Parts: sequence; C-alpha cells; structure tokens
Amino acid sequence: MQRNKKVTQLSKRLVLLSKDSAGVVTEANVTEVLEGLRKFEPRHYLLTLKTYLVLLRREIALQTALVASPAALTNESLEAIAKHFTEHYQRPINAVAAEDSSLIAGVRVRVGDDSYDASVAGRLQRLAERVQ
Amino acid sequence: MKALILTFLLAICIPFALSAAGDSHADSAQSLGQLLEEAPAEEGILETFKAIFKKFDVRWSTLIAQMVNFTLVAFVLYKFAVKPVVATLDERQQKISEGLQYAEEMKAQLAATERERAEKVQEAAAEAQRILSETREQAKEMIEVKTQEAASQAEAIIRKASEATELERQKMLSDVRKEVARLVVDTSAKVLTRELSDDEKSAYSNAASKELASS
Repeated sequence: MQRNKKVTQLSKRLVLLSKDSAGVVTEANVTEVLEGLRKFEPRHYLLTLKTYLVLLRREIALQTALVASPAALTNESLEAIAKHFTEHYQRPINAVAAEDSSLIAGVRVRVGDDSYDASVAGRLQRLAERVQ
Repeated sequence: MKALILTFLLAICIPFALSAAGDSHADSAQSLGQLLEEAPAEEGILETFKAIFKKFDVRWSTLIAQMVNFTLVAFVLYKFAVKPVVATLDERQQKISEGLQYAEEMKAQLAATERERAEKVQEAAAEAQRILSETREQAKEMIEVKTQEAASQAEAIIRKASEATELERQKMLSDVRKEVARLVVDTSAKVLTRELSDDEKSAYSNAASKELASS
C-alpha cells in the first residue's frame, strides 16, 4: 500500500473521530465517519479508506481481548477478563470469545500483540520445553 | 777383495813361472828335494837359494824377462779383467748391502707400521666400543622417550574417546529426553482431549479465566 503522510494523518484523525468519549471505537461513530468521507470524497479517497481500515483494525485489536477456549465461557468470566485487562492497560478493553479446540482446556487471551496463555495445551508445551 | 784376487793370481802364476824357468831341466826338479836335504842348515837360506838357482840353471835375464812378462800379463789382466770384475763385484756387493740395508729399513718400517697399525686397530676398537656404548645409551634414551610419547598419545586418544563417548551419551540423553517429553505431551494432550468432557473443559476454562483475571 502506498504511503502518504497527509493521508496517514487524516486517517489517524478519522480513527480518533471514530471513538466515543470513553475512547472506545463505536459502530455509530464509524458509520458517521464513513458517511462524511463519502460525502466529501477527499483527495486520495480510496487510499484514505484503506489506511483508515488498517488503523481502525489495529485500534479495535488494541481494545479487544480475544479470549480463545475449547468450550463456551460464562459471561462472568468474560467480564472478569475485560475488567482485568482494562485496568491493566488503562484503556477500555472488550472481551470477545472464540472457540479453539486445540487448547484442550483453559483460555488464551490476545490483546493486540500481547498473548496470555492459561490453557492446558500451553502448559503442556511449556512443560515439554522445560524438560528439554 | 783385490788382495784376495791378486794372491790367487800369483798362486796360479808361480807354478807357470817355475815351469818356464825349468822347461829344459824338468828332470832336475826331482832332485830339488835331495838338494834341500843335502844342503847344510847352518849356511843360511841365501846359500840355499843360490845352490838351487845353480842346480836348476836359473838365469837372471830369463827370470827378469819372465817377471816382466808376468807383470805385464798381470797388469793387463788386472786392468781389463780383474778391475771390471772387481768393480762389478763391488757394485753388486754395494747393491747387496744397500738391499740388505733397505730390507732392514723395510723391516723396521714394517715393524713400525705393524705397531702403528696395531695401535690404530686398538684405537679403532676403543672408538668403536665408545660409539657402540653411546649408541646403546642413545637408543635406550630414544626408546624411553618414544615410550613416553606413545603413552601420552595413548592417554590423549583415550581421553578424546572418553570425551566423545560422554558427548555422545549426553546427546543421546538429550534426544531421549526430548523424545520422551514430546511423547508425554502428545499423549497427555490426546488423553486429555479424549477424556475431558465439555462440562469439564468449560469448568476448567472458566477457572483459568478467573485465575488469569486475578493474576
């Protein structure tokens, strides 16, 4: 993808506009931003949209705790995880559940580029590495 | 030598001179003995010779002529026969003497050479003995050095082999440990996957979530 400084600055500002007062990216704000872009069609419109999409995905990933587990988790567990990482990163984190049968049991949480493993498969893997 | 030859010649010539003087009085020679017996001893030897000369009719002129002849013959013989013979004999005598002297010198030289050779042989034997002793000592030292080197090399080889064996053993143990760990993990994963029910998995997952949230 081509890099354009002005386009990048504009996209970052659009991402800021996509957040609410709590700093969380909301669907309503994103829809409003997209409508505004469609209405005004700035220069490098397509490039701006692509850059905005990349930055928005990164921001959503930073605000999302992807909780993978082989079985369905209770809402209480998801809320506890969201609360914990919100306090840890000092920003609002939303917990999203995902199924992964390779974990055998337990959970693996991914927030942005950070990964937290509390699964049986991960523990067995660490045990094997420690034995070797 | 010369005197001996002259005496020999005179001894040969005297009978000829006497025979020449008394060729015509050959028969009178037989009476010489009688004359000597008849002559009185007290009259002296001179009278005896005179009587003899008279008896044998010796004339002085003939005697002197014979003596001159004899002297000439003797001189010629001496000059042309005796002298070269004597010179040849002297030369031969000198050669013989020189040969004998040379032989004596050679004998002395031979003895000296033999003595020198014996000394050289003795020295050579002593030198050979010394060299042999040194060679034996050097060989002994070399054998000791080589033995020590061989022992050192053997120890080094054994040490290297032991180290290689130990490394190989460690590698094998590591491989076995890895393989066992892999098998244990795989087996545990399979067993847990098969044995755990959905409720158990859910309960464990919720517990892990809480544990993660509380950490």
